[in-house]
Amino acid sequence: MSTHTIPMPLAAEAQHRPTSLIATLPGIALLFTIGVLGKLMESAGTIVRTEYHMPFPQIEYVLWAILLGLLVSNTLGIATLFRPGVATYELWLKLGIVLVGARFLLQDVLHIGGLSLLLVAVELVLSLSVMTLLGRIFRLPPKLTSLLAIGSSICGVTAIMAAQGAINPDEEDTTTSIAAILTLGAIALLTFPAIGHLLRMSQQAYGMWAGLAVDNTAESIVTGSLFGQDAGRWAILAKTARSSFIGFVVLGYAVYWASRGQAAVVEHKVYFLWQKFPKFILGFLAISFLATAGFFTKQQLGSLSNLSQWAFLPAFAGVGLRTNLKDLVGQGWRPLVVGVLGEVFIAIITLGLVFWSYNHGVTR
Amino acid sequence: MANPETSRPAQAHTSYRLPFNVDLIAVGIGLALAVLIRLGIIHQISF
Repeated sequence: MSTHTIPMPLAAEAQHRPTSLIATLPGIALLFTIGVLGKLMESAGTIVRTEYHMPFPQIEYVLWAILLGLLVSNTLGIATLFRPGVATYELWLKLGIVLVGARFLLQDVLHIGGLSLLLVAVELVLSLSVMTLLGRIFRLPPKLTSLLAIGSSICGVTAIMAAQGAINPDEEDTTTSIAAILTLGAIALLTFPAIGHLLRMSQQAYGMWAGLAVDNTAESIVTGSLFGQDAGRWAILAKTARSSFIGFVVLGYAVYWASRGQAAVVEHKVYFLWQKFPKFILGFLAISFLATAGFFTKQQLGSLSNLSQWAFLPAFAGVGLRTNLKDLVGQGWRPLVVGVLGEVFIAIITLGLVFWSYNHGVTR
Repeated sequence: MANPETSRPAQAHTSYRLPFNVDLIAVGIGLALAVLIRLGIIHQISF
């Protein structure tokens, strides 16, 4: 994928639109407005409960930002003026991930990240196999099956967009797989925190699970953050480890479809891997390295961590804004059934893997 | 792909192509902010 391509499954036409920087400003303002409103709602709720002793749901700003975004996009809709800027939610998300590197010591990244890589490898093999099997059972078009498998095993929409250029699927297959992945992400947002509380999972274990099981990077981080700030952090680490596999999986599918004469042959495989590698991971590691090396004071580390929270704020609002419930239910039942069955399988397997690694003292 | 049972979403997707590489810009801004904080140009940030 060209990493500067941001999918907007809600819009009407299937085409790439060059966007100028100025055109993004209204949408960026909308993202921040909704994000800050979400934070204000959380504070207002706390004041109403503690100062006035009135019942008010204890909802974190993460959920407020998503709910407000959903409300806007599903009632008023997103005017064309705002769409280019709303698409920048991915920039804020990645900036937040880079900055949150300050909260990780490099040895933690290597230890937990190494464990994540192992768990991701197991998750990858199983999810790719199961999705392919389910796609055959439900007789989905082969390339749609490939896209669902890629999206559910690596990092959702980003992986699907990366595969789009490599395996040449129909535009409709891309759209359907993106809609299915976004629907499943929305389901995870609603169900995972409840399951985590039910199983009394620790912040770290839950965060690892969210990072391993939820496909789309934004939804994965939100699902982790809804359980707690620490869980969100660990979800980022596990998700980052998972995203680093994107090039290998897409390359595998590109080679497979090229061998069947249905996609272009990949000439320079090493360059292909580098091209698909999510570069923001390098920024995350760089900040983590500097934090570990004592480059920052404790107060400065706190400031970097808080800046990452500010960066996530518009990203969370963007998750709500780009989710159009009408589009999600209109995608046909078979891709969704395949997705749901596959995701339930992946969720159970990754939950088992996380419990196993914690019960055997693999993590600290 | 005309199978009705795998019907498509009513609306297809649009990709807005930003005039920059999102990953590299995110890394660039992140590192720049880190340096500014380290140099004390940006003081305490609260959330």
